[in-house]
Amino acid sequence: MVRWKTRSGGLRRVKSAIAVFLIIVTGALKVEAAPLTSEDVVHKWYTLSLALIRHTPTYSPPVASRALAYLGVTAYEAVASGSPRLQSLAGQLQDLKPLPPREAGRRYDEVVVLDTALATMTRDLFANTGPSGQQAIQRLEADLHSAILSAGTDAETIMLSENYGKAIAAHLAAWSQEDGGAVVENMGFPWTYELKKGPEHWVPTNPLSRQQQAPLLPEWGRNRSFAMPAGASCELPPPHPYSEDPSSTFYKEALEVYQVSKSLTPEQKAIAFFWIDDAMASPTPAGHWVSILIQIAEHDHLTLEKQVDALARLGVAMADAFIGCWHEKFRYDLIRPISYIRRVIAPDWTPFLLTPPFPEYPSGHSTQSGAAATVLASIFGDPYPFTDNTRERDGAVPRSFNGFIDASKEASISRLYGGIHFRAGIERGFEQGKCIGAYSVALKTWR
Amino acid sequence: MLTRYLFTLSLLIASYGVSTEHVRANDGLVVPRFEDVTAQSGITSFYKGDWQYMVGGGAAAFDCNGDQFPDLALAGGEGTASLFVNKSKQGGALQFERATSGIELNGVTGIYPIDIDGDGLIDLVLLRVGEAVLMRGLGECRFERANEAWHFDGGNAWWTSFSATWEKGSKWPTLAFGSYINPRSEDNPWGSCTDNQLFRPHDDGNGFAKPVALKPSYCALSMLFTDWNRSGTPSLRVSNDREYYEGGQEQLWHVEPGKEPRLYTDAEGWKFLKIWGMGIASTVFPNENYPSYFLTSMSDNKLQVLNSAKSDTGPMPIYKDIAYDRGAIAYRPYTGGDLKPSTAWHAQFEDVNNDGYFDLFVAKGNVDRMPDFAAKDPSNLMMQRPDGRFEEVGDAAGIVRFASARGAALADFNLDGKMDILVTNRRENATLWQNVSPSIGNFIAIHLHQEGSNADAIGAWIEVDNGNHINRREITIGGGHAGGHLGWIHFGVGDAKEVKMRTIWPDGQADEWATIASNAYYRLSRGQAPKAWNSN
Repeated sequence: MVRWKTRSGGLRRVKSAIAVFLIIVTGALKVEAAPLTSEDVVHKWYTLSLALIRHTPTYSPPVASRALAYLGVTAYEAVASGSPRLQSLAGQLQDLKPLPPREAGRRYDEVVVLDTALATMTRDLFANTGPSGQQAIQRLEADLHSAILSAGTDAETIMLSENYGKAIAAHLAAWSQEDGGAVVENMGFPWTYELKKGPEHWVPTNPLSRQQQAPLLPEWGRNRSFAMPAGASCELPPPHPYSEDPSSTFYKEALEVYQVSKSLTPEQKAIAFFWIDDAMASPTPAGHWVSILIQIAEHDHLTLEKQVDALARLGVAMADAFIGCWHEKFRYDLIRPISYIRRVIAPDWTPFLLTPPFPEYPSGHSTQSGAAATVLASIFGDPYPFTDNTRERDGAVPRSFNGFIDASKEASISRLYGGIHFRAGIERGFEQGKCIGAYSVALKTWR
Repeated sequence: MLTRYLFTLSLLIASYGVSTEHVRANDGLVVPRFEDVTAQSGITSFYKGDWQYMVGGGAAAFDCNGDQFPDLALAGGEGTASLFVNKSKQGGALQFERATSGIELNGVTGIYPIDIDGDGLIDLVLLRVGEAVLMRGLGECRFERANEAWHFDGGNAWWTSFSATWEKGSKWPTLAFGSYINPRSEDNPWGSCTDNQLFRPHDDGNGFAKPVALKPSYCALSMLFTDWNRSGTPSLRVSNDREYYEGGQEQLWHVEPGKEPRLYTDAEGWKFLKIWGMGIASTVFPNENYPSYFLTSMSDNKLQVLNSAKSDTGPMPIYKDIAYDRGAIAYRPYTGGDLKPSTAWHAQFEDVNNDGYFDLFVAKGNVDRMPDFAAKDPSNLMMQRPDGRFEEVGDAAGIVRFASARGAALADFNLDGKMDILVTNRRENATLWQNVSPSIGNFIAIHLHQEGSNADAIGAWIEVDNGNHINRREITIGGGHAGGHLGWIHFGVGDAKEVKMRTIWPDGQADEWATIASNAYYRLSRGQAPKAWNSN
C-alpha cells in the first residue's frame, strides 16, 4: 500500500492530479516536487548526521552516541512542543529544564520548527567536521529552506517558526555544554596517561599509532547521563580474576577467543564484518542502531510522533549505555584478548578485527546492543522481523533478523568472532545494556 | 677520458657568504641549513579555491628549455597554473621568472612532467577539476594542448593523481589518472569516488586508446607505477582517501602488457589498509633491493618495507610499517605549540645533507579549518641516520612555516649540489627554501637518456656504491601529492671522492659499473660512458 506523505491530508491527491494535468498540457519536463514533510526533514537530517559521524574525526563511538542522543531529543522536543499527544522530556532527563514555550494563539509551521531545530543542532554538534561536512550541512539547509519557501507559507509564520526552532536548539545546546562530553581534544585520546600496573590491566594494542598509546576517553564514564541517574547506575560484577593458569576461567575464555579465531566460518566472518561499526569507517554502533530504526520508520511508515519518540529513546539509551560501559571499562581496566593471548597463548596471534584502543570489560557494542534492543522491543515488540542494509555500501550483505533481541545478540557475539572481547565482557555487557535501556523505556513521552 | 666538472663547495661558501655557525652537528648528524628566499626568487603562486581545491596544489620540477636547470610548473587551483623559468646561476641565488607558457589554465590541481611522445621535449600532464589536459612541450618552455592530437579524452572529473610507465614493447607510455570525489555531489560527497582511468597506447602507435576504468576506485590522491618486486614489470600502487570511499582500501594493481589490469588480492598477500592516503614517496634503504614506501595521511603516516620471504614466484606484497621503529614520525607538529594531529600531503625522499642516506621531507597543512587537526602544522624534514632511523630537524634546518602546505618539489635548483625545497601552499604564496648548508657531503647527479621513446628511462634503476653502501633509486613518474620531478637524479655520497655507479635500464639491461668523480653532474646516455656536464 502506498502511503501518502502530506501535511494537508487528501488535498495532495487533488494537487498531484492537477499537476500531472498541467505537465501534460504544457509539455513541461519537470515534475512538481512533493511538499516537504516533517518525516522528510527527520530522514534527511538523520541521514546526513550518520554520514557526518563517519566522516568527523572526533566522532568515536561514545561521542557519536552523545550526538545522536541530543539530536533525538531535539527532534522529539520540536515535535512534542506542537503535539497534543506528546509531553516534554524536561524534568525527566538529567538537568533538562523546561523548554521555551510557544507563543499562545500563534500559528507555527511544524516542518519549519523541526527543520530549523535539527539544522541548528546539527551545525552545533558537528561544528568541527571538515569542509565537505560543512558544505553538506549548508547544502541540506539551503535545499530544505528552498523547499519550505516553495510551499507558499507566509513569511511571518516561517520567521516565527524558525525562531522557535532555533530557541529549542539553543536551549538543548546549552544543556549539552554541561555534560562533560562537549569538548573532545586530540580525537579523544588524553595528552598524557599513566597505564595501571599489573598484568590484568589494559596496555596499548596498536603500536603503529602514537595517539593510541593512551586509551580513548578515559573520563567518559563520568559524563552526565541522560535517562539513567549516573554512569554507575548499572554497575557490573568484576571480570573473572586474571590468571595465566590454563585451568582458570580467565585462561579458558581467552583460549576460546583464540580457538574461535582459528576456525572462523564464512558466516562468522560475515557477522563480525557486518557489526564492525568502527569509528571513521561506519556510523558506529549507536549510528548502526539508529540506521536500523530509520529503515524501519521508512519501511513501516511510522507516524512522525512515533518516529521521534523512538529516536529520542534510542539515542538516550545508547548514550547512557556508553557512559555506563565506559564507567565500568575504566573501573576494571581489563586487558584485551590480543595482549593476553600474545603473552600467554600464541605470540603471533592476530584477531580478525582490529582491537579498539580502550579496555576490554565490558564490550561496548554488547552494552549498546542490549540497550538498543530493550528500547526498540518496548516500542515495536519482539519478534519484529526486519532487514538491515546499513553496511551494504561497504560491501556487507544485508542481514535479516527476527527481531531486535535476535539482532542485538548477533551484534554482541560478533565481538567474539572478531577476537576483540572475552565471552564474559560480551554477556555482561549485554546485561548492562538491558539495565541501562530500561531507564529510557521508563521515560514518559505519550500523554 | 671523462670530462670532469668538479664543483668546489668552498667556492660556493665564499661566494654566498654563509656562515658555518648555522650548521649544527648533533651527535654526528649534519643538519642542513635552508633560507627562505621566496621574496627574492620571483616565485608568486597561490593555490587558490575552496572546496574543490582542498586537495591538490602540486608542483612539477623539470627542465623546459634545455639549460639543465630545473624549471617549475605550479598548480593554481581556481587561479591559473604558472610556469617559472629558472634563471639561477650555478651556485648562485635562486631566481625564477614567470613565463607565459600555454599552461595557464584554471582548475589545475596537479602537474607532472613526462616526455609522452618521445621527442626529447618534456610534456606536462595537467590534473584539473574538469578535463585533464596533456600539454605537448614545444621547447623554450612553451606548451600546447595535445588531447586531440594524442586522442586523449581528459574526461570531466576531479583529477588528483597520476603516474606513468612504459609497458614492454610500447613506444608510448601507459598513463594512470586518479580521480577524487564526484564534483557534482557536493551535498553528499561520501561514497561518490569516480573511476580512475588507465590510458594505454593506441595500437596504431599514435596516441592513446580509450581508457579502461580501474574499478573499484576509492578517491585516489596518489598513484605510482613501481617495480615493487623487481620483476621488471611495474605495478600500480594507489593511495586512497578513506574520508570519501565506502568499502575501500589501499590498492596495488597488476598492470601487465596485453592484459586487463587487476587488483592484487588477499591470496596474493595484499593486506587491507585504510588511511587518509594523500601521497606516496618511495625510497630504497641502503643495500636493500626493494623499494619502501612512505604513505602520507592524517595523524599517523606509514613507512612500509617489504616483509615477505622470497619464493619461486618472487616476494608477496606484504609490508611492515616501520615508521615508529625508524622514527619517521610526523603525526603531530614538532614545534609551534599546536599538539593536534597533523595532515600530511606531499612526501619525497632526497639526501639533503649529502651524507649518503636519503632523508624525508613531508609537506603538511590543515585541510581547511578542521579544528580537530593542527592549524599550525609545519612541514617535516627528517634526516636519515646511518642506522636507518630518522630525526626531525625542520626547526634547526630553518624550514618552519605555518602556511597550509600541499605539494612540494625537492630539486637542486641552482645546481650547486644541494637539494632545495619548493612548497606550494593553500591560499598563500608558495615557499622556496634554498639549501645554503656550508659544509655537507659530496654528491653526484645523473640524468638518464635513451634514444627513441621513454627518453628519460622511466623504470630504470640507478645504483651508486659510495664505498660504504649501495644506494638504489627507481626512476618513476608519479606519486608525491599532485606533482613530481623529472631530470637530475641526486645522490649524496658522503665523503667519497669518487663512486661506482651503474644503470639498469627499463628493459632490464644492466650497464657495467663505472667509476665517476663526486661533485659532478652526469648525462648518461644508454650505451655510452657517463659524461660529465657543466654549465659553461
